[in-house]
Amino acid sequence: MAEVKVTINGAQTSGREGVTILELAQENGIKIPTLCYLTELSPTGACRICIVEVEGSRTLVGSCHTPITPGMIIQTHSPKVLATRKVIIELLFASHCGFCMLCNKANVCNLRELAADLDVGLSPFQTRKRFYPIEDNPYIQIDRTQCILCRKCVRACREIAENGILGIAYRSFDTKIVIDNDQPLAQDTCRDCDICISVCPTGCLSKPKKLSAAKTGKPLIIC
Amino acid sequence: MPEKQIVLKNCQMINPRDINTYLARHDFKALAKAQVMEPDEIINEVKASGLRGRGGAGFPCGSKWEAARNTPGDEKYLVGNADEGEVGTFKDRYIIENDPFTFIEGITIAAYAIGAKQSYIYLRSEYHRLRNLLENAISQAKDKGFLKHVKIDIREGAGAYICGEETALMDSIEGKRGEPRYRPPFPTTKGLWGNPTVINNVETLMNIPNIILNGAQQFRQIGTERSKGTKVFSVSGDVAKPGVYELVLGSKLRELVIDLAGAETVKMVQIGGAMGRIVSSTMLDTSLSFETILGAGGVIVYNESRDTIDIVLRTMEFLNKESCGKCSPCREGTEAMVKILQKFAGGRGTPKDTGLLEELSSTMMLASLCGLGQAAPFPVIDSLQYFRHDYESRIK
Ligand SMILES: Cc1cc2nc3c(=O)[nH]c(=O)nc-3n(C[C@H](O)[C@H](O)[C@H](O)COP(=O)(O)O)c2cc1C
Ligand code: FES
Repeated sequence: MAEVKVTINGAQTSGREGVTILELAQENGIKIPTLCYLTELSPTGACRICIVEVEGSRTLVGSCHTPITPGMIIQTHSPKVLATRKVIIELLFASHCGFCMLCNKANVCNLRELAADLDVGLSPFQTRKRFYPIEDNPYIQIDRTQCILCRKCVRACREIAENGILGIAYRSFDTKIVIDNDQPLAQDTCRDCDICISVCPTGCLSKPKKLSAAKTGKPLIIC
Repeated sequence: MPEKQIVLKNCQMINPRDINTYLARHDFKALAKAQVMEPDEIINEVKASGLRGRGGAGFPCGSKWEAARNTPGDEKYLVGNADEGEVGTFKDRYIIENDPFTFIEGITIAAYAIGAKQSYIYLRSEYHRLRNLLENAISQAKDKGFLKHVKIDIREGAGAYICGEETALMDSIEGKRGEPRYRPPFPTTKGLWGNPTVINNVETLMNIPNIILNGAQQFRQIGTERSKGTKVFSVSGDVAKPGVYELVLGSKLRELVIDLAGAETVKMVQIGGAMGRIVSSTMLDTSLSFETILGAGGVIVYNESRDTIDIVLRTMEFLNKESCGKCSPCREGTEAMVKILQKFAGGRGTPKDTGLLEELSSTMMLASLCGLGQAAPFPVIDSLQYFRHDYESRIK
């Protein structure tokens, strides 16, 4: 395959034809943040955090889904890019529950990590909050209050688990991850593979705490 | 006079339910002429005409066809975009209601040129009552033997504004949730079911028979440097004579809203609907063309009694509701904008809020996935530019 020459952050480099800007950046040791991208999944372009500046383009360009073209001049961390990424995170935080202190994902949360990187403090924007009751079932505990709609779980369920029980429903701000046609998780459809849980960037999907089920054997303290 | 009837020349002249009245005037002559031409010749003619898409973005029509034609593949598709969801836009409805036959002839020529055997008309669900009229026109054209090389089917939307956007439209036709796809790949290389697809607005296709019949040179004679031909506008709001007008491209806004539609006191005009631009009354001498301001043709006039913040807030509420929910800048950004505009509407704005609006606008325009999020801030930035005092007077 032909090599495509591009300039990235001032340095000349080249990549195979068909490689995305993000992949090329990674090969060159440049870290572009992502929220909805995962190597194993098809790109969707939903979160827009991975945007970069490409000379001659009217808008910023999603690097996770845009292939490199000959002569492309790319800036991955220009002031314009950073300012835009910051506002996107501020927006995501505006509707996010904000209970990071109580969240079991707190220190491994991708959203929080990005917020720290981009110096995001209290969000200046006021939107509705997404408050949904926590959905509990034996397989996946779903707390949509923490969902940032990256759709990794939806794609993982379809593309890796080849099951497709997770989907997207409703529009605009009310968009949410649903099971089947927005029904409670039916026991016979979920294969309990946990793949969706493993790809969730926030605390939205987690393993249910089976508090009593695991109590077997002798009690620890014997009076 | 800037008015000129090219696209609308058959409207009110023929019976839209009877192909014979159309044949008496035109006889599908353009299709007959096209079919003895090579597809590349047709494409070159359309390219030479300078025809640009009438659905809002103004992409050169011939180049789009060429891209689809040059993409290898046996299966290609043509889509006539009759979703017309843009606020205050009703020109495609008027066209279909009055002259479905030129539209169909345009589809047949376009399909022949790009090599599509299947075409779709994507009709917005609110135009359901036109379905019967269109089906009738298609079956009459078929009976007369004009549809031997291409099948035309109608697909109805389900009431989503976003499904007028070409990639969301394709998802909708494929039976999926209508959401924009990222580009590249463009529809001309990977469109419907992964095949090369051309999507054209109704009015764009209406121009085709005329270009084929009378030649590119004649088409090019009117208009401006980079905007050839005419444009059909639908005018509504505070005017004496709301309705559909066809004007030579480059005509002045004043000629449309004052001379033709009879507006009296103009405060502002919204050109191109919710995603369009707002201009103030001092700008009525702006010309209407792709170089200046155009959009899809919806023109809404507001008089002095109207409140700027109210107009912008309603527009933003619409865009917020119609955002598909896929990309974060648009989904969360339109929501945040509505909240800030509500503060101004209630007289509770703060000096910081105008800055926040500007910051949000920039992010949405730069980072959104599709045209909706990218254009949603226009009403805000335009009103902040021309009517800033209306915001400042609402700061508590
Ligand atoms: C949110 C959104 C809504 C749109 N709605 C329409 C529509 O209703 N009708 C239309 O023709 N084009 C619409 N467009 C533009 C289409 O994406 C596309 O550019 C157009 O159909 C191409 O046709 P043209 O080249 O003939 O103009 C819309 C675009 C966006 C971003
Ligand atoms: S990581 Fe590219 S859009 Fe989300």
